[in-house]
Amino acid sequence: MPTYVYGIVESTARAPKASGIGGAPLAVVAGDGAAALVSDLPDREVHMGRDEVLMHAEVLDQALAQGTVLPMRFGVVMDGSDDVRRELLERHSEDLRSQLSELAGKVEVNVRAVYEEDVVLREAVSEEPEIARLREAVRDRSEDASYYERIRLGELVAQAMERKRERDAQAIIDLLAPETLAVDVGVPAHERVVVSASFLVARARLDAFDGLLEAVARDQFGRIRFKLTGPRPPHSFVELGGGA
Amino acid sequence: MSALAGNRFPRSGYVTRSSSSGLADVLDVLLDKGLVIDIFLRVSLVGIELLTVDARIVIASVDTYLRFAEAVNRLDIGESSSEGLPDLIEDMTQDGASSKTKGVLEGAKESLFGSSGDDDNDSDDDDSSSRSRSRSSSRSRSRSSSRGR
Repeated sequence: MPTYVYGIVESTARAPKASGIGGAPLAVVAGDGAAALVSDLPDREVHMGRDEVLMHAEVLDQALAQGTVLPMRFGVVMDGSDDVRRELLERHSEDLRSQLSELAGKVEVNVRAVYEEDVVLREAVSEEPEIARLREAVRDRSEDASYYERIRLGELVAQAMERKRERDAQAIIDLLAPETLAVDVGVPAHERVVVSASFLVARARLDAFDGLLEAVARDQFGRIRFKLTGPRPPHSFVELGGGA
Repeated sequence: MSALAGNRFPRSGYVTRSSSSGLADVLDVLLDKGLVIDIFLRVSLVGIELLTVDARIVIASVDTYLRFAEAVNRLDIGESSSEGLPDLIEDMTQDGASSKTKGVLEGAKESLFGSSGDDDNDSDDDDSSSRSRSRSSSRSRSRSSSRGR
């Protein structure tokens, strides 16, 4: 019977009351020092889409409310409880136990900072004489006549933005550092993203972290806007090496 | 969405907050992060848009440049009173929170304006060399992480 695995919890943990994917009840498969949070899947083809991703996230959130949970990636299905016990819990017993211990009392939050584009474009024009010059040069000319200048202008602006992005991203990370246990920096989704990163924070220090972020957001109001997501289980800070 | 007892964030001030209830928030992290093991029956990801993974790589292109050129052309250039973050660090360590109403001349402590030469020199940020952030070409970015373990 296919078994969907949501995450790893402490061996003393109990399954949250909620149902899992497909409405199946959640269960805990206990190993030595760690346990797996699972549910059975029907023994046929199962559609795994957006609803199931949300369900997985919800199950993990409920587990997080009760204690430590190491999230599985979406879509890990194993061949029954014995398989879970043998291939996951026993094979990786030391690693799972040490991560549960290390991540106890810690959660992940994601911070995404996005530029107000006009503001930083104005900065680029006023900081870079060549940008200002090219801007004047292409202003009153037709698009055809100024094609290459416009590409050059845009390229300079893109480079100026990249330099700002690097400096501002590092500054934001540095300002949050006092309450950060670890950081995982993501790839920006588009040019206006300053930084998108996951932070490992002690649960007890969430308010302090939030205070640091609020201070940066207040000072950069009108230039950079910030979005904070979480707290969530430490997806970005778990890892499984090869089995023994 | 369940909340962690005693750990609610205060109502929003300048930061937009969300619990991870939105699909966009959880999709990347659930598809891309978390534990995986070698031996498992991977269910095929039917019906999930995986474009988000590809879209995360920012690749500079001619279209991007033309868009930037158009954007700067549209700007109404007046005085900007915004203060960059490297200045902010200095402000915060010296005086606490800086005022965002400082004008260009009054507020610029470092060479934020008119010193494009400094942009080539990242040694202003002491920590930038100690971070293990890999830089490939100027045209793509790669993921990096620094772990506190």
